[in-house]
Amino acid sequence: MPKVLVVDDDQDLAEMLGIVITGAGMDVEIVGRGDEAVSAFQENNPDLILLDLMLPGIDGIEVCKQIRQISMVPIVMLTAKGDSQDVVAGLEAGADDYIVKPFPHPAELIARIRTRLRRVTPSNTGAIKIGDLQVDLVSHEVLRDGKKISLTRLEFELLAALLKDPGRVFSREALLSEVWGYHHSTDTRLVNVHVQRLRSKVERDPENPELILTVRGVGYRAGRPN
Amino acid sequence: MNRFRNSLATRVVVSTVLLSLAAFWLAGSALFNNLSSGVKRVKTESAISEFRATSFGLQYEFILANANDKLIQKAIDDVAKAATLTGSQELAVVASPNTNLSKSNFSKQTDYANLKLIPKNLQKKVQKSSGIKWDYATNGKSIIVGEKIRIPNNGNYELYVFYSLANQEATNSLILNALLLTGLALLFLIALTTWLVVRQVVSPVREAARTAEQLTAGDLGQRMEVEGEDELARLGNAFNEMADSLQKQITRLENLSLVQQRFVSDVSHELRTPLTTIRLASAVIDGAKESFEPTVARSAQLLMSQLDRFERLLEDLLEISRFDAEVAVLEAIDFDLGSMIKNVVDELQFPARELQTEIRYSQPMQPVVIKADIRRVSRILRNLLSNAIDHSNGKPVEVNLVHNEDTVAIGVRDFGEGFDKDVARRVFDRFWRADPSRSRVHGGTGLGLSISLEDARLHNGELEAFAEPNKGAHFVLTLPRKAGDEISGRLIKLQY
Repeated sequence: MPKVLVVDDDQDLAEMLGIVITGAGMDVEIVGRGDEAVSAFQENNPDLILLDLMLPGIDGIEVCKQIRQISMVPIVMLTAKGDSQDVVAGLEAGADDYIVKPFPHPAELIARIRTRLRRVTPSNTGAIKIGDLQVDLVSHEVLRDGKKISLTRLEFELLAALLKDPGRVFSREALLSEVWGYHHSTDTRLVNVHVQRLRSKVERDPENPELILTVRGVGYRAGRPN
Repeated sequence: MNRFRNSLATRVVVSTVLLSLAAFWLAGSALFNNLSSGVKRVKTESAISEFRATSFGLQYEFILANANDKLIQKAIDDVAKAATLTGSQELAVVASPNTNLSKSNFSKQTDYANLKLIPKNLQKKVQKSSGIKWDYATNGKSIIVGEKIRIPNNGNYELYVFYSLANQEATNSLILNALLLTGLALLFLIALTTWLVVRQVVSPVREAARTAEQLTAGDLGQRMEVEGEDELARLGNAFNEMADSLQKQITRLENLSLVQQRFVSDVSHELRTPLTTIRLASAVIDGAKESFEPTVARSAQLLMSQLDRFERLLEDLLEISRFDAEVAVLEAIDFDLGSMIKNVVDELQFPARELQTEIRYSQPMQPVVIKADIRRVSRILRNLLSNAIDHSNGKPVEVNLVHNEDTVAIGVRDFGEGFDKDVARRVFDRFWRADPSRSRVHGGTGLGLSISLEDARLHNGELEAFAEPNKGAHFVLTLPRKAGDEISGRLIKLQY
């Protein structure tokens, strides 16, 4: 059974989230303070973290940064504000996705969690070499000069989605549907922030990307493999 | 001319100069007349005394000549010669009418002496009585002095000497020039002084005007520079105090707006967390409703639907607060209005079918691209259309799209119960309901049309209503093609 760590200071909401997630057949751990989140993560080793942004102790963005230093676990933010700055700050700190409270239906929350938990069906093409990067689509490993680069699952999926058809231009909307499972969303910030994060890990010079290229006004494409 | 009307300084300087010019003209001409007549008088007196000497000397020579014609003639010639030598005198010796000239004629005149210049009056006076007489030449260029003289053993002659006034003319024009020059210099000085004085008064006034303009433009920190303690400094101080108080008021209002804005955001945050919990809880309850007794199951259903309504109401209230706090943001993008309408119409087909209402809309063949906030525009249309469906009484609802180069208009018309003029005026008021007792099938929040109107105005557009009882209602949304531009009139006539 997958395990979800819920970090929220509102006890009632946390409990309710627990009931809903448990009802969907997953284990739940609840922690109410930001400064307890990291140790709770280490103790429980969850498969996903549901993280509120406004927390006592340290705030959600800081929690996100600290967890990213030790783990590539999927993180979904819960935000009460539609505040654009908070969302971008959270994504830049390493969150994979966000949900704005109040969400219309628990099914949406469960669907979001499941998307982040799903395992990408292993590709039969195996390994792709692009630039000096070696991407193993089966073992989800990315190597440069034999050294492993650690990516979050979402970052890997984004890279894999682009590499599935190198040279082809993917619109941001197509990537949102492919990687995040959104079919009508136009929140392209998700894509933009994650491309920046991915570049900072895999590009030699993130300012002048050679692997993940921006096509102005359209979207992104991967450089051709060699 | 414009400058004259617009500038106080120019006006004051010009009127001062004109008035001084008039005063100078009067004073100057009086002075000139006095001076030039004085010059003439002096000249006349010196001419007369010179003439007296000449005449006396001549008559003395006549006596010495002792009736010797040659000597007499010589004396006359000498006098004439002496006169011409001065360069400014001419001389004439004219025989009186009753003198017998048969013996000898001593008449004589120098080369430029013109007898016609001697006024008749003067000649008569000279002939009539003895003594020195004078007058101006008929051309005014000289003074003519005359006397009757007697040549012994011969008869009466008249002696005239012309004293040229050329020097006096020169003196006069010198005086005139000096006067004119002095006048002009004084005028210039007066103009300059006036200008300087006026500027001292006007420049603070100008600065006040400039500062006021900047204040109006929104630069609330602008103040006048104040020097000294005169009336103008008082003006400056008063002006600055006014600006201070304005700035204080505006800052206070801005803070109020900030407080309001923060309040809206706090309310939004504080309400959303419990609302999320309630939502999740009610969904869990709803999921288990099969196992409930019918009344409990119905209660669970009501809980869900009221929760929806509560949430919509909260969203609408927050939206209205954003408009009131003037923090609503327009996110304009280019999109095809024709297909946006089609999407909204499709979305509302389901509730329309429930009420057996047909929605009539034909999408234009060509895209109608506008730059607007698609979320707000589709919200307006969704609102108008669901209102129309709610009040259609099963009759069709029509949606029209009309456009020109700079304006688009969407008309939503139903043929249902309609409303009267009084209602049409209040239909956009918050929480206003035409008939409080009327049941509400789709449970609107009572804020929908208020928000739609604000949405339309945010685009610099208009939303208007027209209706007749039992005939239906017609709502028309008019928007500029590019949000914020002016709309070029009404493309759809507001009529039933």
